Amino acid sequence: MDLSWLDAAIFAPLVGAVAVAIVPSRNLSTLRLVALASTIMTFLLSLGILVDFEAGTPGFQLTTSLSWIPEWGVGYKTGIDGVSLWMVLLTTFLMPLAVLASWSITRRAKAYFIFLLALQTGMTGVFSSLDMFLFYLFWEATLIPMYFLIGMWGYDRRIYAAMKFFLFTLVGSLLMLAGILFLYFAAGDNPTFEYQALLGTPLALDAQRLLFLAFFASFAVKVPLVPLHTWLPDAHTEAPTAGSVMLAAVLLKMGAYGLIRFAIPFFPDAARELVPLVMTLAIIGILYGALVALVQKDLKRLIAYSSVAHLGFIVLGMFVGTLQGMSGGILQMVNHGLSTGALFMLVGALYDRRHTRLIADYGGLARSVPIMAGVFLFVALSSLGLPALNGFVGEFLVLVGTFFGYRWWVIPAAFGIVLAAIYLLWAYQRVFHGEPATEANRAMADLNVRELVMLAPIVALIIFIGVYPKPFLDRIEPSAERLVQQLKQSSVVPGGGVAEGP
Amino acid sequence: MEMDIPRIELAGIAPEIALTVAALVILVVHAVLGNRFSTWYLPYLATLGLVVAGALAVIVWDVNDLQLSGMIALDNFATFVKVSLAVFGLLTVWLGRDYLTRDRLEESEFYALVLFAVAGMMLMAAAADLIVMFLALETFSIALYVLVAFKRRSTEAQESAMKYFLLGAFSSAFFLFGIALAYGAVGTTNLYSTGPEADSLFRFASAGPSTDLDLLVLAMGLIIVGLGFKIAAVPFHAWTPDAYQGAPSPVTGFMAAGSKIAGFAALIRVLDAILFPLRWDWRPLVIGIAVLTMIVGSVLAVVQEDVKRMLAYSSIAHAGFVLVGVVAANDRGVSGSLFYLATYGLTVVGSFAVVSILAGPGEHRTRLTDYRGAFYQRPLLAGALTLFLLALAGVPVTSGFVAKLVVFGAAIESGYWWLVVIGVLASAIAAFFYLRVLVVMYMQEPIEGVEPAPSGGWLANGVVAITAATTIVFGLAWGPLIDAAEHARFFVAGG
Amino acid sequence: MNTPDYLPILFLLVLSTLFAVGSMLAASKLSPRRWTSAKLQSYESGMVPEKDVAGDRFPVKFYLVAMLFIIFDIETAFLYPWAVAYDELGLFGLAEMGVFIAILLAAYAYVWKRGGLEWVE
Repeated sequence: MDLSWLDAAIFAPLVGAVAVAIVPSRNLSTLRLVALASTIMTFLLSLGILVDFEAGTPGFQLTTSLSWIPEWGVGYKTGIDGVSLWMVLLTTFLMPLAVLASWSITRRAKAYFIFLLALQTGMTGVFSSLDMFLFYLFWEATLIPMYFLIGMWGYDRRIYAAMKFFLFTLVGSLLMLAGILFLYFAAGDNPTFEYQALLGTPLALDAQRLLFLAFFASFAVKVPLVPLHTWLPDAHTEAPTAGSVMLAAVLLKMGAYGLIRFAIPFFPDAARELVPLVMTLAIIGILYGALVALVQKDLKRLIAYSSVAHLGFIVLGMFVGTLQGMSGGILQMVNHGLSTGALFMLVGALYDRRHTRLIADYGGLARSVPIMAGVFLFVALSSLGLPALNGFVGEFLVLVGTFFGYRWWVIPAAFGIVLAAIYLLWAYQRVFHGEPATEANRAMADLNVRELVMLAPIVALIIFIGVYPKPFLDRIEPSAERLVQQLKQSSVVPGGGVAEGP
Repeated sequence: MEMDIPRIELAGIAPEIALTVAALVILVVHAVLGNRFSTWYLPYLATLGLVVAGALAVIVWDVNDLQLSGMIALDNFATFVKVSLAVFGLLTVWLGRDYLTRDRLEESEFYALVLFAVAGMMLMAAAADLIVMFLALETFSIALYVLVAFKRRSTEAQESAMKYFLLGAFSSAFFLFGIALAYGAVGTTNLYSTGPEADSLFRFASAGPSTDLDLLVLAMGLIIVGLGFKIAAVPFHAWTPDAYQGAPSPVTGFMAAGSKIAGFAALIRVLDAILFPLRWDWRPLVIGIAVLTMIVGSVLAVVQEDVKRMLAYSSIAHAGFVLVGVVAANDRGVSGSLFYLATYGLTVVGSFAVVSILAGPGEHRTRLTDYRGAFYQRPLLAGALTLFLLALAGVPVTSGFVAKLVVFGAAIESGYWWLVVIGVLASAIAAFFYLRVLVVMYMQEPIEGVEPAPSGGWLANGVVAITAATTIVFGLAWGPLIDAAEHARFFVAGG
Repeated sequence: MNTPDYLPILFLLVLSTLFAVGSMLAASKLSPRRWTSAKLQSYESGMVPEKDVAGDRFPVKFYLVAMLFIIFDIETAFLYPWAVAYDELGLFGLAEMGVFIAILLAAYAYVWKRGGLEWVE
């Protein structure tokens, strides 16, 4: 059997989950340490992927192909290109930090860490699957741990939020399942679920449209695109800190990733037709997310809505059909994961101290917690795209790409960036500046060592990407180029009508 | 008068004979010995009977034959169903042992009735003549009527058994009337022809447009209605919630698994093999039933407050999903439906095993509120139930997902993609209830001062463990089972 | 389906319905009514009734006995055609009847030992 670092990184968290399961549940500190150790181990394994990955080639690398259910053409096939590489690394990089952000979990910590580690396997698997059956398996496998993380360790309205999250995602993914099956049988006499074999399956335009919509339903819910976003503010707000971090940083990216990996290449003709619709939804998302974020009273909800706006940017870049837009969108997936992840961690730290998320309850914190205030400002600046920080590179590329593709669409997009500056800086001002409203705010403790350790790697990476994005873009661009080409290809069969089954 | 003595070929009904003998031995031995000695040997006898029956069914794998004057079909289709039934029977007997000792109910009759029911169900799968099919249907139905009323002091059980009996008798009448009309149309009740001149439903249906098919189509409709009761398809489902709720939980699991696979085995043989040439006549009816069944079952499951009733509606919805595979009427549809029925059976027996344990003596704790915080009191049982519910919801890594994949795949292969879209939307609705149970078990605290959820005996726990393991195994390594299902072909004349 | 083939059946159906309804009507219109105390008593095959049955419940044991009687009685009826055709059926028939009687005996033993034949508990 030929397994790569990638397969190791997919399944290492499951081994960690088993290790956590063995530890007695009353032994809280051991549980944490085992979880932390296993996520760090996974991160180190994933560095092996980075070493083995060859920059400058567009195709899939580190591929593994094992026979699984030959009767139905199902195989265990994994591999990554320049897009999934960074998604996998983002996941493995953020996971130890998410474990560090979970120190406040003291109730049922064992189950918590098991779910968190299972979630990691699901997420890594989604980004590395090259078999539709396997992909769907991992895709749904992220759903259940997240459902429990929100529902068992969330805040007051956690059950409502968890149900909404599960059902929204499930409806979308079940439609995708029907689409996958249709594609499976349309592929020819020897049906297979293998991704690369299914690429370029000839389909009538009618069928393409329906299938694109089926896939799009699943990914648009996940991204989320307005108007399918309503689960997101609830889920993000009610989830525990680590849950919010992983939701924003990785789970939303699964939607955007699905769009460029599956929805566009499988059905390029339908995708081209629907580009204006998707771009309109993306622009609406950018503006709507920003405006709604502006009026939030709840700090966590504010960041949740900012995600709607940022993901709008990412989808915009992916659909404009230019290399800059695509690379920018992909890089922005990493950037958003870092900055929004850090923002959720900071809000979590605030909540641990004062047990409130309302902006009005804070104020004047800059005096009592100067380091926290500094980090918050820094991350906010990264999120709103200050030059020399990571957000700038991604957003700039997206805007340039949009300009080349659809000149006038740049204007509302740029307006979204202005709004981002307003809501983030205004929130910073209300929380950290002014006179401390209460004694509790005045006496608040600054970031402790654990929290510093948790935030420092993100801060470092934010600067690194902002100053020297080349190593990232070098690996992204060949794959991005190929993805842009795929949008321009055609796989339509002449003669209308939905393809009939045998 | 010349007597035409049939050749004595018993291989086809050897499993049924073994079960009947075992059941008679159980009844007589226990009646003679009485309760003076302990009753430890009874479940062993029942286990022996079922294992022998399963083995006798397996050894005729790959035999393609008609026996007893064309009354019994020996084919892999029947074998697959028979082996599944033997497994369901075993699990029911083991689960029943714990249940009966806990609630101090009679044991020997329970095992004997389960064995008789399994025998009837097996015969149903092998029937190659409508009359034999009817006999089989009655054999297992009558055993089930009694089993439903097994808690005879409970008025609830009496009520549900009475409803089940009356509606069951009603459905038998439909079925019988269908047989009569089929005889009127064809002149025989044989499904397959035994000789060159002998007539059969298959030959008649395949004869082409020259034959007058009106009466046969009418008969077919009545047969679908009659079997629709047994598989609990809407609008013939009215008995299901009451019967499932009032019956002892092991029996409910057995009904959901066994009655369904037996009813479907007959339905699939009649529709997808015998009346395949008439598929354009029966498809509209079956599609209508499938759509209604999926939607009504899923929607009504959502509003239930009792776990057994919820699982009853869920079993209705699952009948709808299997019907999607029946509608497909292709090879994948038949194998997919068999795979679905086998894995669903294991999962549903497991769910009712957990329900039976958590319900406690007298089965008083079956309401949703009784499950509050169950995860914190019985983590393993609650975890197993979670697995079963996720499988019923069709979430990947469980057998339930693969089952949906194969039947929906078959329907798409036949061009019924819109039926699949209805199916996936129905299963999204159904997921809501399964999630409600999870919410109650995991996200709510146990009520203060209420005694904790009971634990099970080792046999019941063993049944839960076995079914949980199969639910995972057939979700990941489903190759061998789907392979067996794909080899479960119908009898082919001269093949 | 050939309609003339079914005409006799239809004819018979109409005729039998007419006869049944007609004779009941005739009986109710023509018969004289003279009530005596003996006529109002419940009919017990010529025995003097022990108690008034109307509105009173029979012990469930009656039904059990009736059911057992019917089952065993009907099963025994199968012996006659077998006996008539014994020569043609030969060994096959003997074996079949042996199996049949064995099952019947098992049921009999079961009913006996479980107390189905005892009137008093």
